[in-house]
Amino acid sequence: MKGQYEIGYVLNPESTEEDVKKVADSILGIIKKAKGEIENVDEWGRRPLAYRIQNHNEGVFTFIKTDFDGSVVANIERRLRLSEKVMRFLVLRLDDKLKKANKLTKKWQKIDKNAKKTKTFPQKEKKDEEELKIKNEVKDE
Amino acid sequence: MSNTQTNHRSQKKYYFSRKKYCFFCKERIKLIDYKDVKILENFILDTGKIQPARVSGTCSYHQKQLTKAIKRARHMGLLKFVEPRRG
Repeated sequence: MKGQYEIGYVLNPESTEEDVKKVADSILGIIKKAKGEIENVDEWGRRPLAYRIQNHNEGVFTFIKTDFDGSVVANIERRLRLSEKVMRFLVLRLDDKLKKANKLTKKWQKIDKNAKKTKTFPQKEKKDEEELKIKNEVKDE
Repeated sequence: MSNTQTNHRSQKKYYFSRKKYCFFCKERIKLIDYKDVKILENFILDTGKIQPARVSGTCSYHQKQLTKAIKRARHMGLLKFVEPRRG
């Protein structure tokens, strides 16, 4: 059973760039062995934490989006748990919720169709969009 | 006296007539991601508590996702937990 997964983990702020690469490579290696596909690797870098974790105020964030076999998840979680530099981690499955979410698009399409039939709604939406645009412009400045 | 009473009524009606709408339905967001902290911060009170749906106006479908997303973000150290009251 292939599925879309997202792996996120927070590293110790004392870890160097080599350590970050090591952890990432070890996980990517497991995925490649299981013939999974890597969609993208999102590296946020150093970021302040909302609260203290293990007496640290900062963390190094990385998020990996992948398509792979679900049986490997336990392997990856074990690897993350055992590595000392990793403070927190989260592995999520994404695709099973997309089916439910796709029902919403039908709802929204209906709303859009009804809005087109009645002339009053689109005008209101346009006004809102214009207001938002003006607000965004002000923020950008 | 009669005038004052009518004034009170009109004020009350004015307060509760503000229209609420679901932010995520309006922006057409299907799944709420725990990573976009900028959006999640808007649905958290100063104490760190999750804002109730009756205050923010989010629909039940998105409120359920919101609570999960906020709790995940807390676990990862992106959002704060509920702070105890001082004194």
